[in-house]
Parts: sequence; structure tokens; C-alpha cells
Amino acid sequence: MNVLTVQNHRPFRISELPFLAITDFENTVRTLLKNDHRMIALMDLEEDANGIKVLAVLSDSAGGLISITGTVFDNRDKNFNSFAPDYPQTHYFECELAEQTGIVPIGHPWLRPVRRQDTILNDRPYEFYRLDGEEVHEVAVGPIHAGVIEPGHFRFQCHGETVYHLEINLGYQHRGVESLMVQGNPAQRMILAESVAGDTVIGHGMAYALGAEALSECRVSLRAQYIRVLAEELERAAMHIAGLSGVTNDIGLAIAASAYGRLRTLVINSLGLLCGSRFGRGLITPGGVQYDVQAANTQAIRQYLTTVLNDIQPINDYVFNATGVLGRLEHTGVVTRDWAESAGLVGPSARACGVITDTRHQFPYGAYRYNSLPMLTLTSGDVYARARIRAMEINESLQFVMERLEDIPDGPLYVPPENPLPDSGVVSVVEGWRGEIVHAAFTDAHGRFRRYKIKDPSFHNWYGLALALRRQGISDFPLCNKSFDLSYAGHDL
Amino acid sequence: MLDSIKLRMAQGDPVVHDVHNDPLFPLFRGLPVLADNPCPPDCRICSAICPTGAISHEPLQLDMGLCVFCSRCQLKCPSGLIRFTGERHITVTSREQLLIRGGGQPVRPEQASEAIRSMFRRSLKLRQVSAGGCNGCELELNAASNVNFDMGRYGIEFVASPRHADGIVITGPITRNMAAALEDCYEAVPHPKIIILYGACAISGGIFKDSAALNREFLSHHKTDLLVPGCPPHPLTFITGLLDWLDRKG
Repeated sequence: MNVLTVQNHRPFRISELPFLAITDFENTVRTLLKNDHRMIALMDLEEDANGIKVLAVLSDSAGGLISITGTVFDNRDKNFNSFAPDYPQTHYFECELAEQTGIVPIGHPWLRPVRRQDTILNDRPYEFYRLDGEEVHEVAVGPIHAGVIEPGHFRFQCHGETVYHLEINLGYQHRGVESLMVQGNPAQRMILAESVAGDTVIGHGMAYALGAEALSECRVSLRAQYIRVLAEELERAAMHIAGLSGVTNDIGLAIAASAYGRLRTLVINSLGLLCGSRFGRGLITPGGVQYDVQAANTQAIRQYLTTVLNDIQPINDYVFNATGVLGRLEHTGVVTRDWAESAGLVGPSARACGVITDTRHQFPYGAYRYNSLPMLTLTSGDVYARARIRAMEINESLQFVMERLEDIPDGPLYVPPENPLPDSGVVSVVEGWRGEIVHAAFTDAHGRFRRYKIKDPSFHNWYGLALALRRQGISDFPLCNKSFDLSYAGHDL
Repeated sequence: MLDSIKLRMAQGDPVVHDVHNDPLFPLFRGLPVLADNPCPPDCRICSAICPTGAISHEPLQLDMGLCVFCSRCQLKCPSGLIRFTGERHITVTSREQLLIRGGGQPVRPEQASEAIRSMFRRSLKLRQVSAGGCNGCELELNAASNVNFDMGRYGIEFVASPRHADGIVITGPITRNMAAALEDCYEAVPHPKIIILYGACAISGGIFKDSAALNREFLSHHKTDLLVPGCPPHPLTFITGLLDWLDRKG
């Protein structure tokens, strides 16, 4: 059997994982990619005397299943034939594997560093791709940017105003999360998960908790499942409002940026009413939740969200109809559906191009199995679509919370989880507000974590931003960047 | 244009007028208070559950510089000896002031020197540097400039260039990959300049303190002026802390 097929949040035994000869591994992965599977992890599991065990994890949205296959690279043969020339969606995973293990993807069209600044690839320090010619110039931005924002480096190859190539070079926020997840205890892991990206506390927190619960075979109560999902939708709405505030700020529409900012405060203060933190920190814990939805907080939350739903309408009407705004947003930073699908983009930025991708529908988990939100798509793939889809999702998320707030099942908030299963693994996929989050956890013979892999949606989507800038004016870069609103820390771990 | 004026009118008056006293949400976790009563013998529940090792015993002490305000100690203590209050005034000027012991002492920063106060009381321009921050602190610092918290009314602003700044605000545990950029940025700020550490990661490394990916040498070479505890600290903790330090009325 060449492939182990698993479900989202269902544990499997590591002994069930197939480790094939390299050629069989390559062929198996290619067959999966050819059959519309998406790569969601390419990772080293461990290294021993035989070599480095590597796993490829691919998801099948149509079937709602996850396929895992593996191989062992011994020290003499640390290379494989790159999948990227035929399947661009694997390109960055292969770069990451090369950086973390030294395993070289032969024929990779663009091998480059992912998180380290001293990466030596093909025996040479990395050099940016450069454009040559008359009147060509290169613009470097970062790591430190103008605003209060995380650091990253952007290298533009320009001719006049037009950007021919944007390269995004990150890693500045690398804190070693994956190693710390293995070294830490359960309380530390929960905080680490919440801190992968501090604006995605619920998303990454849920991915960790669901994986840990699967490994402990812990059944979380319906009440806790609903509370988590309400918090996830509040987080989604809050950050989408922040996104709209950013987009309108970057086109100079201060009144809209300020007005959206005021409404975001009401949404995050709702999270604060729920659990004491504006970002939902402390709410989720493996086994359930630490805070409850109660009469004491639902009335105030309902008031806040009613205000947001009412007040956001005139702002949206103004923003999405003003000629000056449309002139900036429409046809700017276009990513086609073909590019988005072949690059493996996820989340609302992909849905804005018409890509069907939403973990809540395709790999449902928690209370999303019983109550769903509509999956929204647009088609133009420009800044307008990425902004518009946020406005639509804000509405859906807040309506969802309002409908369910006082109507969640009774039950205990928390069920103490048992020790994790030994020599087991789990793949945990959730839909964060930026898109698909993947955590893969593996335990040793004592049930302790031995390897932890995290993929933030930004891992795919930074390349979407790079594509969006091609043939665009460089002055539209901040606007395009805000329209994607990606995570630096989530990428860098 | 009329639409835009109507939109402005519809925003009403969102400003928090009394930054020191206007209430925050009931579960807000500000200053922790430790009861004077002794812990049950050999009970180590709180320090065992604390993710950053902020709690030590004999005497019971909570280090707000390590604390990520996750509330696990409060939820798990069988004797109710730890309680996070709604007190937002927790910004301090020295690391020692962050060590909380039984008795519930208020925490206030020492006033800035006369020189600093006279120069920055009415105009303080800051350059923020994210040295590994997860974006929680960055979002709250951005919120400090929004229409609710509006620190601009006190002359406090974030500026784009370190050349235009009076000091830096560091978020994040200071990763190796940001160490050089942080040093360069601070170097570019003209004298006199201040350093503010915002959040548990900046103050102590927080949940990342044991990571091999950090380089916190910057802090051994430069004196810090203000420490703002929290994970992330609330914008009003930042603003009231600055106002108290600069001896300005709110």
C-alpha cells in the first residue's frame, strides 16, 4: 500500500505509514497531484542511522480525505526529482525541506531560502533574481517597514513604475515554534499555538487543541465545540474588518479606515467579554474551553454585534460605490483563478479568484459539522474582490454568531484529556481567517510529542502577493499587500 | 463629499475620554493580586501550570515580565490566592517593579527625569520595531492610535523613520534574524532617545524565552526606560503608562 489515507483530526499509528523507495515515492506523489490533490506538508519526521524519514501529506477536497506517503533519504542520496516544474504548488514546500534537511529537489525552478538568512543552496549563498538592462532599477523594502507591522524583505525588479518581479524574503520573525512545541509541556504548547500568529489565536489554537484531543481520544462537549466556533467567527470578522481598514487607509480614505477601526474594537471587545482577552487568548485548552457563554456576557455581545452589523453597512456602501475607491481597487493586483489553483493559494484571497477552498466545508470539524456558513467566491481576483469578499464574510460570520449565541447545547466546558497515544500521528486542518491552517503532530513510544509541523495559510499566499505585483505600478504595492493581509510570524514560525 | 460627512457624523463619539478610569470589559486581566495567606504546604499547582515559569514560591511571587496573563493560575489555584484585577496601570520603569508579591501593592512607573519630561511631555514620536512579535502587540499598538484610544491627542505618535523618532518601542522576543536590524534602527535614532519594551516577549522572551532562535544581546548593551507587561498589553496600559511616566494629566 503506497498511501495511508486518514481523516482530518483522526489519529493513526506511525507504523501504518508507508515508507517507499524514492522512485515509488515520487510516482505516488505525482499520481496524487495529478488527481487534484493539494500538498499540505512535506516534512522530515526524524533522522536515524538509516537516513531521514520524510513524509508528503496531500489533501483531497473532493473526497474530504488526507493522503500520506513517505520515503527515507540516506546520506548519499539526499535528493529527489522536483515536482514543482509540473505542479507549482509544491515549490515552496520543497524549498522548506531543502532548508531544514539539506535534501535537494533536482530541477526545482527557483530554490530559495524560507526562514534562514544563512542558507547555502547548491553550495552558494542565495542571490536575488535580478533584471538587467537600460533604466532598470531594483527597490529593496524592509525588513523594518514604515508602519507598526511585522518585518519582511521585499525586492522589486522595476522598469520605471512597473514591477516585473517581486521577491518576498522572510524569516525575520523565526522564533523556533516547531522545536518549542516538542520540548514544551501541554500548557506551554497551548500558549505557543496561540502565539504562532497573534492575530490568529483561535485558528492556530483550535488546530493544536483538535490535534491534541485526537491523540488523546478526548471527546470535547458540544457546548465547547460551539463556543470555539463562535470565537473563530468573531476572530474572522475582527481581522477582516482590520483588513478593510488597512485597504481603505492605503488609498487615503481616512474616514472609512477610522470607521472600520471603531467597529473592529466592538468585535474584539466581544471576545474580551467572552474570555478576558481581545484576541481570545486563554479561551481554548485541550479538552474544551476555559470560559463560558453566559447571560452576563451574551447581552453585551449581542449589543456590540448588532451595532457592527448596522453601522458597517453605510461604510461598505460608501467604499464599494465611490468612483475614486473603485478606480484604485478594480483591476489592481489581479491573480487569475488558474494561477491561484496552480500555486495552491488558500482562504478568502483564493476564493476572491473563484477557487473553491474552505476547510469548514471540505474537511468539516467541531460545530461546523452541524452548522455551516455559506462559502463565498468572487471571480475578478483583484484588490476589489479581496476587499469585497471580506465585507461579505464579515456579514456572514457575525450573523452566524448572533444566531447561535444564545442557542448552544448544554454540556461541560472541559473534559480532561488522557495521555496521548504512543507512536501515533494526527493531521489537524482548520479554516483560519486567512485560510487553511495545518498542524501535524507525532508522538513517541511514551506519548510525548516527537515532531510538530505547522503550516500557516500565508505559507502559500505570500507567493500570491508576488504574482499580483507583476506588471503593476510599484505604488500599488502597499494596497496589494493589505489586500492579502498575510502573516509574517505565521510563515516564519 | 456629503456622503463622507454623513459617514463621519454616524461615527458619533467613539473616544474613550477618561483613559485612566473608563471601564474595560469585566474579565479584563490587569494587575494580578496575590493574597497574603500562605499557600497550602507543598502545593505547587500554579507554578507547575504556568507556561512561562512566572510563579515562584516562598514567598509566593508572580513575575509580570514573564506572565502571559493566560489566567491558568487563577483558574487552578485551589485556595483562590491569585486573582487578576481590572487594574490597567501596570507599566513600570524597572524589571524589579514587575515582581508581584502578596499584599496587593499598586504598581506605578517612577516619573521620568526632568530632562525627559520637559522634552517629551507634549510631543513623543516613537519608532516601533517588531523583533519577532507575533502581531498581537503590533495590533494593540496600532489600536492605540485609533479613534477609541487616540494617543495622538497627547502628542504621542508612531513615525516611519527612526530619524524622526524620540525612541523605539520593541515588540517580540528579539529573534536572531532581527537583531542586526534592531541595532541599526536604534543607532539611527538621534539623541536623546528612549527604549520601551512592549509585551512579555520583549521584556523577558515570554513563551519563547528558551528558544535557540533568539538573540537578546541588544538589551545587555542598552538601558530600557519603560516596560509594558501583557500578552498583549492593552492600548490603555501603554497610554496611561506613558502619561504617568511623563507626569501628564490624562
